Amino acid sequence: MLVKINSAAILGLEAYRVEVEVDSSRGLPGQSIVGLPDAAVRESRDRVRSAIENSGFEFPASYFTINLAPADTRKEGPLYDLPIALGMLMASEQISAKRLDGAIILGELSLDGSVRPVNGVLPICMSLASEHHQVLVSKKNADEAALVENLEVLPVESLRQAADYLNGKIEIKPHRVDVNSLFPPELQYNIDFADVKGQGHVKRALEVAAAGGHNLLMVGSPGSGKTMLARRLSTILPPLSIEEALEVTKLYSVTGLLSSKGVLITRRPFRSPHHTTSNIGIIGGGRIPRPGEVSLSHLGVLFLDEFPEFDRQVLEVLRQPLEEDRVTISRAHSSLTYPAQFMLVAAMNPCPCGRLYDQNLNCTCTSIQIQSYWRKLSEPLLDRIDIQLEVPRLKPDELSSLPEGETSKQIRQRVQAARRIQNQRFKGSGIYSNARMHPKQIREFCRLDKEAENILKSAIVHLKLSARAYDKVLKVARTIADLEDRPVLCASHIAEATQYRTLDRNPSTSSG
Amino acid sequence: MGMESYKLGITGEEVAEKYLAQQGFEILEKNYHSQQGEVDMVARDRDFLVFVEVKNYSFRSLSSPLSAVRKNKRESIIHAARTYLLKKGIKKTNCRFDVLTIYRSMDGSRRIEHFKNAFFCD
Repeated sequence: MLVKINSAAILGLEAYRVEVEVDSSRGLPGQSIVGLPDAAVRESRDRVRSAIENSGFEFPASYFTINLAPADTRKEGPLYDLPIALGMLMASEQISAKRLDGAIILGELSLDGSVRPVNGVLPICMSLASEHHQVLVSKKNADEAALVENLEVLPVESLRQAADYLNGKIEIKPHRVDVNSLFPPELQYNIDFADVKGQGHVKRALEVAAAGGHNLLMVGSPGSGKTMLARRLSTILPPLSIEEALEVTKLYSVTGLLSSKGVLITRRPFRSPHHTTSNIGIIGGGRIPRPGEVSLSHLGVLFLDEFPEFDRQVLEVLRQPLEEDRVTISRAHSSLTYPAQFMLVAAMNPCPCGRLYDQNLNCTCTSIQIQSYWRKLSEPLLDRIDIQLEVPRLKPDELSSLPEGETSKQIRQRVQAARRIQNQRFKGSGIYSNARMHPKQIREFCRLDKEAENILKSAIVHLKLSARAYDKVLKVARTIADLEDRPVLCASHIAEATQYRTLDRNPSTSSG
Repeated sequence: MGMESYKLGITGEEVAEKYLAQQGFEILEKNYHSQQGEVDMVARDRDFLVFVEVKNYSFRSLSSPLSAVRKNKRESIIHAARTYLLKKGIKKTNCRFDVLTIYRSMDGSRRIEHFKNAFFCD
C-alpha cells in the first residue's frame, strides 16, 4: 500500500514541499530511504522503529520503500521522522489516512515516541501557508508555527497522540498566538547608556551612527570602554517592526538558535564573534550553506572586537554584505542568498601593545609593527566605515567625578525621529538610510549653506581629505542635521562630521 | 561442557517446535542451510513466512540472548532466507524474522520469549 504525506525542506530561507511516499511491499522485511537523504534522515529508521514500538504499535514486517520527493534535492535533518513513522503506520493499516487532509507534518522522534522540535519551522510555515492550511508539529514548535497567519497549527507531544488524532479518536485544539502580545510595550534591556561614564563624544558618535546606519570604527587603548559602548549600541536602535522581527526570527530558526531566544526575536540582534572565527563562520557556508554571523546580525549590530586580529580574508569577505546588504553563497549543490543588513561596529587598539595614544605610558611597538598592524585593514574596507574615532582612556578622577549620562531611551527617541525623516526622504528609492546614499543622492540631499561650504573647503585643504572622505563627511553631516531636523547642512554639522575622519588625519594609518 | 550445550540446543529446539506448533505455526523446515547461512526453522504463521532463530540460554549464561543475534548471525539468517525464497520460487509473500529465546532455570524449567519481527534486512 502506498501512502503520501506532506512535509517540507528548507533551502536558504525558503521552503518547498516534500512528499514523503511510503510504500510497503511483501518480501523480506527491511526498508530503504531514497530521495537524497543525508545521514540524519537515514538514521531515522532506527528512531522510527523504537518510537513505533514504544508507542504501543507493532512495527510492521514489510519491505518499505520511502521516497522523499522531489528526488533531486538533498534532504537533511531529522524532521522526516514523524511523517515516516505515520506513513508506515498508515501503510500497514494500523491508522487511517482519512484525516490527513494535506497537512504538513514535521517532527523528530525520540525513542520513547515523543515528538521533538526541529529547526526551520517558521520559514517552512511562512513559505507553505499559501498552499496548505494545516501543519502538525511538535508542541515545542507550536508557538513558532503559530506566528504565521491563516495556518491551523496542531501541536502534538507524541507519535501516539498524532496517530490518535488521525484515527479520529481525539481532537487537537489548534494553537494560536497573538503576535502583538509578544512585543513588549517598551523595549527593555539590562544594559543602558547611562551605565557608561564620560566618553561623551563616543556616545554622540554612536548616536549619529545609529541614526544614519553608519558603520563605525573605534580606536582606543585597552580598557577605554570600547566594548562596553558598542554593546549598548543596540539599545538605542529603533525597535523592530513585526515584519522585521519575523525576518530575523526566520534566520535564527534556520540556524537552530531560536529555542534559546524565545518564540519571536523582538530585539535587534547584537553579535560579537571572536576574532578567530573563520570566514565561513562570518559569511555563512557549509555544504548546504547556512547563515553566518553577518546574517545573524541582520537588522542589528555586528561587533568585531580586535578588528585587525581577524584574518585578512575574513575582513575582506565582509565587503560584499556591507555593500549589498545580503550575501550570496555558492556551493556545488546550491547557491543561496541570505539577508545581511547590519551595522558594522569595529574596535581596535591603536598599536599591538595598545599604548600608542596614551600620554602616560610608553608604547613599546616599533613603527614597522604598527604599520603591519594597520595594514591588515585594507583601503576598500575602511572605505565602508563612515565614522572613525579615537576612544581615549578615562583618568581615574574622571571615572569617579563624572555624572551619569543620558539614558538609552532618551537617545533612542532622537534616533527614531532621525530615522523617520530618512524614511520620508528615501521613500521608494530602495535605500533606507543616509549611509547608503549614492553620489547622486548626496548631491541632491546634502545642500550646504555658505558658511558650511567654506568650512568644508578649508577642511579639505588642511586635513587633506580625499574625494572619498568628502562624500563620507557629507553623509554623516546629513545624519547630524537630521538629528536636529534641519533640511540644510550648516557649519556645525560639517565641523562635527569632519571630526569622525580620524584615520584620514592620522599619520600612523597613512600606510594602511 | 561442549556436549552439555549441544544437548541444551537439541532439547531447546524441541521445546521451540512444540511452542510454535501451539501458537499455530506450521513448521516447514528445520536447520535450513544455504552456502553462507543457516536458519533454525522456517515456519508459516497465517499469511507470514517466518524465519525463526532459536536461542537457548541457561542460568549459567551471562549475556542476554537477543544481543547474541548480532550482525554476523543476522546476515547468515538473511542469506539463508533469501536462498530459501529463491529455491522455492516464493514471491510476493510477507516474511518475518523472529527470535525465540528459551531460558532454562536451575530447576530445569523453561521459559520461552518470542520476539516477533526481531530484525530486518539492512
